[in-house]
Amino acid sequence: MSFAVERGETLVLLGQSGSGKTTALRLINRMLDPTGGTICLEGRDISGLDPIELRRSIGYVIQDFGLMPHWTVEENVALVPRLRGWDAERQRRRTQELLEQVGLDHGAIAQRRPYELSGGQKQRVAVARALAGGPGLLLFDEPFGALDPVTRHEMQQQFLTLRKQYNVASVFVTHDLLEAMAIATRIAVLERGKLEALVSPSEFVLLRTPVARSFLDTLPEGLLNGRGC
Amino acid sequence: MDPTILKILLKEVGDLTLDHIVLVAVSCGLAVLIGVGVGIAGTRHPATRRISVAIASVLQTIPSLALFGFLLPIPLIGGIGEHTAILCLVLYSLLPILRNTIVGIASVDLPVREAAVAMGMTDRQLLRLVELPLAAPTILAGIRIALVTNIGTAVIAAVIGAGGLGVLIFRGVASVNTMEILAGAIPAAILALLADGGMSLLERRMARP
Repeated sequence: MSFAVERGETLVLLGQSGSGKTTALRLINRMLDPTGGTICLEGRDISGLDPIELRRSIGYVIQDFGLMPHWTVEENVALVPRLRGWDAERQRRRTQELLEQVGLDHGAIAQRRPYELSGGQKQRVAVARALAGGPGLLLFDEPFGALDPVTRHEMQQQFLTLRKQYNVASVFVTHDLLEAMAIATRIAVLERGKLEALVSPSEFVLLRTPVARSFLDTLPEGLLNGRGC
Repeated sequence: MDPTILKILLKEVGDLTLDHIVLVAVSCGLAVLIGVGVGIAGTRHPATRRISVAIASVLQTIPSLALFGFLLPIPLIGGIGEHTAILCLVLYSLLPILRNTIVGIASVDLPVREAAVAMGMTDRQLLRLVELPLAAPTILAGIRIALVTNIGTAVIAAVIGAGGLGVLIFRGVASVNTMEILAGAIPAAILALLADGGMSLLERRMARP
């Protein structure tokens, strides 16, 4: 498997369960170490970097939010700044800025705990947390999979706004083709740990590989024609 | 009862209650240090977990009176007196603390742990900032069981000359003196109830989200 992601770009990893999407993300932030091959971040081989510092420089968002249940929203968002030793006032300013950017009212929500939030609010907090350390790369592991369709659509739009605003590279795992089409600049189709295709969203509909076809078959009939594809 | 005798008995009850509290506090304190420490190590090293839980489980199956008896003839660590009783009580308290520490830390939600690691926490930070605070109610529940059990078991420490409220109870049994038995049993029961209530309160405060 070989691919590169530029700043401002979103590479969507699309594949069925067990195709290696999450493993690919975990290799990028060294939650796993590869048995072979090289992964570079801004030109540097990550195997030579301190894994703790590497992870602090990469934002990570997961489907189950992973918010610390015993911390307030503010403390959750300020996780990486706190680990980096920022002073309290700088942490607070950063948290306020980020919560507002993800569409949450800082005054109303900062002191709440995760159990007091809706699923959509939790995921917004998780996105704010991922951005808090000013990462150059964001990893998303099926982040919106547990949300209702309306909230999911809102989160996708918010993601596009934040991508533009921060000009950050992102790798986004999903098994939802419509989500992939909505946010991807390129789509990597994975099958059993191998890269089957790497294409733009408009090229994806022309693919004839078995995995690509199985994803296209999930779309409602006539949808592609209706979109002029 | 003669007021002078009553006064002497009350003073003795006070002194022996204090002895009892010291026995329980020292042994429980040591058991917490060892149990939580080994429990944390057990969550990082499966072999440590297996061996430590197996040893603590075997110790727990030995009847407490027999455990006091086993330790008596052992050189250096055994013999008559408080140190043998404290050792016995520590061994007896280990299992609930050790097991609850392991279970409490292992029960931390996987996504919470994964996010903490993925955002750049070191193992020590993960333990200090996430695992121990979230496992605290479970660990406290283990300490509560150990503490309450220990207050009862420490009564038996009197048979090896370690003092405590057991002195009154055993003396009362030997002389068929109900008053003396009650003078030892009632403060022991009150201590156990107070310890249980206090720990329960602490547990509820820690469990509050």
